[in-house]
Amino acid sequence: MSLQNLLQDWSRYRRGREEGGFHNYEHMWGMSIDLNLCIGCNACSVACYAENNLAVVGKDKYEKHQAMHWMRIERYWDEPDLGEGRVSEYQQHGASFLPMNCQQCNAATCEPVCPVAATYHTPDGLNAQVYNRCIGSRYCSNNCPYRLRYFNFYSYYEDSWPEPLNLQLNPDLSVRDKGVMEKCTFCIQRIRVAKDKAQREHRVLQDGEFTTACAQTCPTSAIVFGDMLKMYDPNSTNPSSKVIELWEKHQVELGVTEQEKHNPKIRGYRVLEHLNTDPCIMFLDRVREV
Amino acid sequence: MGLKNINRRGFLKLMGWSGVGATVAGCDMPTTVTLEEGKETVTSYLVPEEYAIPGIGVWYSSTCRQCPAGCGLHGRVREGRILKLEGNPDSPINAGKLCQMGQAGLQGHYNPDRLRTPKVRKDGKLVDITWAEALDLIDQHVGASSGLNGARFAWVSDSVSGHQAMLIDNLMSALGSKNLFIHEVVNSEVARSVNQAVLGDATPRYQIGKAHAILSIGNDFLGTGDSPVHASTEYTEFRSSPRGVLGVVEPKMTLTGANADLWMAIRPGTEGVFALSVANVLATKHKMAIDMLPKAIQTAIMKRNLNEDARLTGVSGNHVIRVAKWLSSNPGRSIVMVGGTAEGQVNGYQNGVAAMVLNVMLGNVGKTIVASHEFPFPQLEHRAGGTAGLLDFVKAIDNGGLDVAFFSGANPVYTAPAALGLKDKLASIPFKVSFTQFDDETSQLADLVLPILSPMEDWATIVPKVQGEEAVISMQQPVMEPLYADTRGLGDIVLDLLKKRDGATYGNYDSYYAYLSQAFASFPANMAADGKAVTWNDALAKGVIAVKTGEKQLKAKLDQVAVALPEENAEYPLTLIPTPRLGLWDGRHANIPWLQEAPDQISKVVWDSWAEIHPNLAKQLGVETGDAIKITSAQGAIDVKVYVFKGIHPDAIAVPLGQGHKGYGRYADGRGVNPLEILDTATVDGTNELALYSTRVKVEKARNKDTLVMMGDHDVQMGRKMVSTVTPDVFELTGGEA
Ligand code: SF4
Ligand code: SF4
Ligand code: SF4
Repeated sequence: MSLQNLLQDWSRYRRGREEGGFHNYEHMWGMSIDLNLCIGCNACSVACYAENNLAVVGKDKYEKHQAMHWMRIERYWDEPDLGEGRVSEYQQHGASFLPMNCQQCNAATCEPVCPVAATYHTPDGLNAQVYNRCIGSRYCSNNCPYRLRYFNFYSYYEDSWPEPLNLQLNPDLSVRDKGVMEKCTFCIQRIRVAKDKAQREHRVLQDGEFTTACAQTCPTSAIVFGDMLKMYDPNSTNPSSKVIELWEKHQVELGVTEQEKHNPKIRGYRVLEHLNTDPCIMFLDRVREV
Repeated sequence: MGLKNINRRGFLKLMGWSGVGATVAGCDMPTTVTLEEGKETVTSYLVPEEYAIPGIGVWYSSTCRQCPAGCGLHGRVREGRILKLEGNPDSPINAGKLCQMGQAGLQGHYNPDRLRTPKVRKDGKLVDITWAEALDLIDQHVGASSGLNGARFAWVSDSVSGHQAMLIDNLMSALGSKNLFIHEVVNSEVARSVNQAVLGDATPRYQIGKAHAILSIGNDFLGTGDSPVHASTEYTEFRSSPRGVLGVVEPKMTLTGANADLWMAIRPGTEGVFALSVANVLATKHKMAIDMLPKAIQTAIMKRNLNEDARLTGVSGNHVIRVAKWLSSNPGRSIVMVGGTAEGQVNGYQNGVAAMVLNVMLGNVGKTIVASHEFPFPQLEHRAGGTAGLLDFVKAIDNGGLDVAFFSGANPVYTAPAALGLKDKLASIPFKVSFTQFDDETSQLADLVLPILSPMEDWATIVPKVQGEEAVISMQQPVMEPLYADTRGLGDIVLDLLKKRDGATYGNYDSYYAYLSQAFASFPANMAADGKAVTWNDALAKGVIAVKTGEKQLKAKLDQVAVALPEENAEYPLTLIPTPRLGLWDGRHANIPWLQEAPDQISKVVWDSWAEIHPNLAKQLGVETGDAIKITSAQGAIDVKVYVFKGIHPDAIAVPLGQGHKGYGRYADGRGVNPLEILDTATVDGTNELALYSTRVKVEKARNKDTLVMMGDHDVQMGRKMVSTVTPDVFELTGGEA
């Protein structure tokens, strides 16, 4: 069963690679994160803790890199080279912030290494994790080049939510137990609710009808989430979206390793895309006067 | 209705609506909502059909109370539990967005350390007591027959607004006391007094979205300013094509500084010199007119010398020239903002005036900086506060003493510098009452500790500290039933105390809820922005009521500017910056696990305190990140691990606020240090505010590597294209954002 899933995933993906386009997908969820707008405030990260029952692990476990932040804001201090070996005495151009959640790679390197196919690709274009099937081998996390998978080393429910903090837990998704891997799902519970509702009302899901917790709260609207299927499947009845508009404008495409931009200066890029992971998150260059 | 003995004007006043031009429609007292109906509505939001359909979430509007900004909320309720907060898209403050503190409001509400029963101190120990007993006890001390002398009563509160502010005021006057002390550590009081003096308006609106160039002098508007989410939503517009340019000058990099195109480290206390230096370049190099300024100021500007100023401030002349170029190409479309580290200096007021000189020269007043809305209901206005409230409280104890003190929202025992001796002085007040959700440093010294409802359980009307496009009253309603039966709302308690003093007026209201709903039944229809009658239910559903406001114009009035340099201090060569954080804020959120585990935006440290120092200073001290140092001021010493980076001036040392709690619950206690403890008590000249960022210190190495837990292993990208950076001309190729 699981092997069958895996093979199906791969044949679906390979067909796209060989013939172009996407086949048998219902959606292709994607994001655009504008680093010109992201101020590194961390609201998205806390929103994710609230929405997705992320465990607070405490200082000691944090030190051992066991924090469960599905959405984390990386901060880099690289300064532009001033030439002649001169380095500025100060952090003149501020910080470089990078919100990193699972890139929902279409060629997810985490998937094929799972011995039990607990992580697989859904017809929504998502890299999903089946908690009940996961045996905790952690191969996937080893194989994620972005280090965006988080392992439950403990049964966090035992002390992360002392009463009545547990009353806040979102009943739309589970609290994970010791021994399973977890990661950003693009708020799959929200996707599910929205899809079901549209189906009940016999209509197609509209762009902007719902969004992920991180995108919803982002004070600068740096994160845009939506369905990109229409970009690749002209027969799809799914509507076009703000994300498609952004990806097209910034000349980033799914399914390619090296972007062929007719204007290479245009801002979109995908992090570590040369590894051929084919991520569904596009970043827009940070902008600074120099 | 029992309102016979109140005339119509008195009635409007009692309801909070007295003010410019408010009239009750028609000539009758409102009778649309009776108290009986009111009671029904209270329960109606508990009716199962609407409230607890298994599996279906219901959304309620309310208002965030995590900081004074007053962002609108939508709360998702399922099976009677509040599960998730989002911004209310209808609020002109936050347009559907929330900051991380707003998101974490849930963990204040569900905090396992919340107090559940009223307690009284007997033989040094807190023991349970009933509410009736507690209120009687209060009555014995402040009631009509208590013989209380109002001058010997004080209330220390965080910033308040809306109907609860008004009821507190009414109680204060019933008690014959003027001692309502509003205390906030994270504040903008000095800048506000500069605004008041120069522009005639304490809270003008800085329209970030309309600016093409912003110079922030210590103002962390994106992080810990007056309205962080509002500023961030405007920042989106500011950074969209044509992209505005941001320069930030401050001793320690704030969140706003981290987003600057050009970040400039400045020697603390020399911000005014910097501002006049920029003015000088504008006048000499860019030939901008200065004749609209008084002679004294013109002379002060022309006296500046670029190289000499660079030596004083530590900001290179090239950077001053660059900033001046940005500003001069955007007259009337720029903003110079002062705040935080620039205003919290002994010469902070003058730093503010110097910044205002730039705004006047650039013609920004009336363009990007516009007058606040004339809010029509003065009784409900936001009461901002700073540290003057704390100092006045201490003064009241010193001069003549106090018999009774109330505390709500503020935790002065934690926030007061040790040099004020507040802890000991409190012992001289015989009866102290703390209205609080949590045990904290102040309630540990109180005689009566009364557990109040969380903002998720209580009613309130909030007037935001700074209004947006439209002036609003933001509604706070319970999004779930109280978790603990034995807790009460602050509004209810104040109303009870008022009833005891003035039964004739307040006896009509069964509860604070009844009072509020009655108030809305009489909302003067001519005062709604859209001219439509405001109904209680609409107000609650929408969450905000836009009110009609008067027009105001700003008129700049400057007379002189005197920028003094900070004094040399050979014994204490460094300046301590106790940094507020968008997260733990002034320490009030240290008991929220999400926020403890959220890395600091700059250092990425979690669950701890740290001291930021420049690599040059680190070299001098022989320390690296993780080593511990001892920071000593004339008032005491703290021991803290260092984080070495280039976002700080070598003469400054920054220690974040928020940690070092003793008695604030399991998540807060025993972590890090509280830098407020070792502050000097010097005030900002010309104001009664503490010069928070001017304490001089010395440092020495204390210990070798200790664990400083932070997110991420690398401070640099190791040549990978993680964050790619381009210049604005590339950005404009695509017309910027979509
Ligand atoms: S909420 Fe938005 S601005 Fe803040 S860190 Fe996340 S992406 Fe960046
Ligand atoms: S980012 Fe990592 S976890 Fe997510 S799909 Fe890609 S490889 Fe897998
Ligand atoms: S800025 Fe203040 S009011 Fe707004 S969401 Fe954050 S804490 Fe709440």
